[in-house]
Amino acid sequence: MISETHKWKVAQRASPQKLSSSKGIFQLGRGILIGSILPIILLVGWEIAARMGLLAAHLLPAPTIILEKIISMYQDGSLFGHISITLTRVFLGFAIGTVAAVVIGAIVGYAKTAERLLDPLFQAIRSIPSLAWVPLFILWMGIGEPSKISLIAVGVFFPVYLNIVAGIQGVDRKLIEVGRIYQLTPYQLTKRIILPAALPSFITGMRSGLGLGWMFVVAAELMGASEGLGYLLVVGQNTYSPDTVIASILLFAILGKITDAVLKWIERRSLKWQDSITNQG
Amino acid sequence: MLNVNRLKRTFNHDTAGFQDINLSVKEGEIIGILGTSGCGKSTLLRVLSGLDKQYEGTISIENGSNNQIGMMFQEPRLLPWLSVKKNISFGLEKEKRNTDKYKTYLDLVGLTDFENHYPKDLSGGMAQRTAIARALITEPEILLLDEPFSALDAFTKMQLQDLLLSIWQKKKTTMILVTHDIDEALYLCDRIFILKGQPGEVYSEVSVEKQKPRTRGDAYLSKQKAHILNLLNVEKKAAGEQK
Ligand SMILES: Nc1ncnc2c1ncn2[C@@H]1O[C@H](COP(=O)(O)OP(=O)(O)O)[C@@H](O)[C@H]1O
Ligand SMILES: [Mg+2]
Repeated sequence: MISETHKWKVAQRASPQKLSSSKGIFQLGRGILIGSILPIILLVGWEIAARMGLLAAHLLPAPTIILEKIISMYQDGSLFGHISITLTRVFLGFAIGTVAAVVIGAIVGYAKTAERLLDPLFQAIRSIPSLAWVPLFILWMGIGEPSKISLIAVGVFFPVYLNIVAGIQGVDRKLIEVGRIYQLTPYQLTKRIILPAALPSFITGMRSGLGLGWMFVVAAELMGASEGLGYLLVVGQNTYSPDTVIASILLFAILGKITDAVLKWIERRSLKWQDSITNQG
Repeated sequence: MLNVNRLKRTFNHDTAGFQDINLSVKEGEIIGILGTSGCGKSTLLRVLSGLDKQYEGTISIENGSNNQIGMMFQEPRLLPWLSVKKNISFGLEKEKRNTDKYKTYLDLVGLTDFENHYPKDLSGGMAQRTAIARALITEPEILLLDEPFSALDAFTKMQLQDLLLSIWQKKKTTMILVTHDIDEALYLCDRIFILKGQPGEVYSEVSVEKQKPRTRGDAYLSKQKAHILNLLNVEKKAAGEQK
């Protein structure tokens, strides 16, 4: 026993310290540095090419012009409005889609009859390319908020749903038996074993759902909106101002990245028990 | 304490599982079930533990309280999202789960400093210690053990056999230990049932009349070992003659 404990402690001491140590930050910094070499070269090249007139300004303006556009939108106050309306739509659609997927996914994953009843239907609906819903939703609900948010919710629903069902059905039978030894009721079994075991898969689903949510908000806002980043795209196109279009593309990218980072952070925090490559050291 | 009468659970038209098992286990006894792989030992424990309810025959347990049966599997089967202490407390009622009752059992299995570790950070032996603590904390009347040490290296295995024995000396828990390791059975058990056949039946019963703790490989145990080997050999010959 002593030797075993000892062995473990030695192993722990020998393993690299937590990422918060200076060495970890250094490595992280170096990763960012290496990763940004190419984008910086491209940006500088683009700027020079634009200034020298090699790129047509009405097609591809210089990065500084795009930056100026963003700053001017910030200064006249319109930037905040567009960003917040788009974020609200994504957030509401994401929340509704996720909740629906959790409820239906949990039932389908857990009850065999519900699976036989519902799953074929969902699989069939899923094979419709999601953007094909857009005109139908606009017909049903008009071009107001409900149709946009429903569209995003549909996009979010499927990846979350599929991952939850797969997660629940993939729970190790051996762990369920542990619950049965302690005579857990079906409710306790779900809460104490099935849901925690399905959590990694659920979070994966949420992350890909969020990605689709961003795609769908663009589609929804392109179809008809008077505010939002997608609306900016349309305005930019109609007023022949590529700087507006590229500025909103850039903002979409940044917001998408930030929201995904939030989910990734939640993932790291709630799955620190997982024995995976990212958790080593 | 536990009485089993004409117990039967078979699969594939009576070609696997076990049948005609009669056992009576006294309080505080350690019973060994020894047999080659595939003769229905795990199936027997699954039936006794209530995991498998499609059996024939009767199982009766005296002074049956609620959490009367504990089970340990060949693998630790810890819940990976729970720390060691939460894994140990897993089988307790909700109110007791957040008390420090686990501490007694954590110390008992020698994992005092590891309460906040996750299963991924434990060695095989430590994980199995955690599983022992989890099985004991509900104070089961009978503890069923399905080859609990067979996946461990020889040294860790001996340490855990000694641990199990010291727990038995403190708590006098009734145990049924399934194993295919003759030395393990002789070291720990008061009576050993030898299963053979497909489906498995009790072929012979061997009593180990020796005070515990025993010395590994002493003359008496060696003699019993030879006896058991002989019984298993006879089984082989019989099987050969049938062909
Ligand atoms: N649920 C089941 N359905 C069909 N056959 C089974 C089932 N469970 C076990 N068996 C069969 O019963 C036999 C005995 O299994 P088991 O009890 O695990 O043996 P042991 O633990 O002694 O090695 C094996 O041949 C196995 O394939
Ligand atoms: Mg077995």
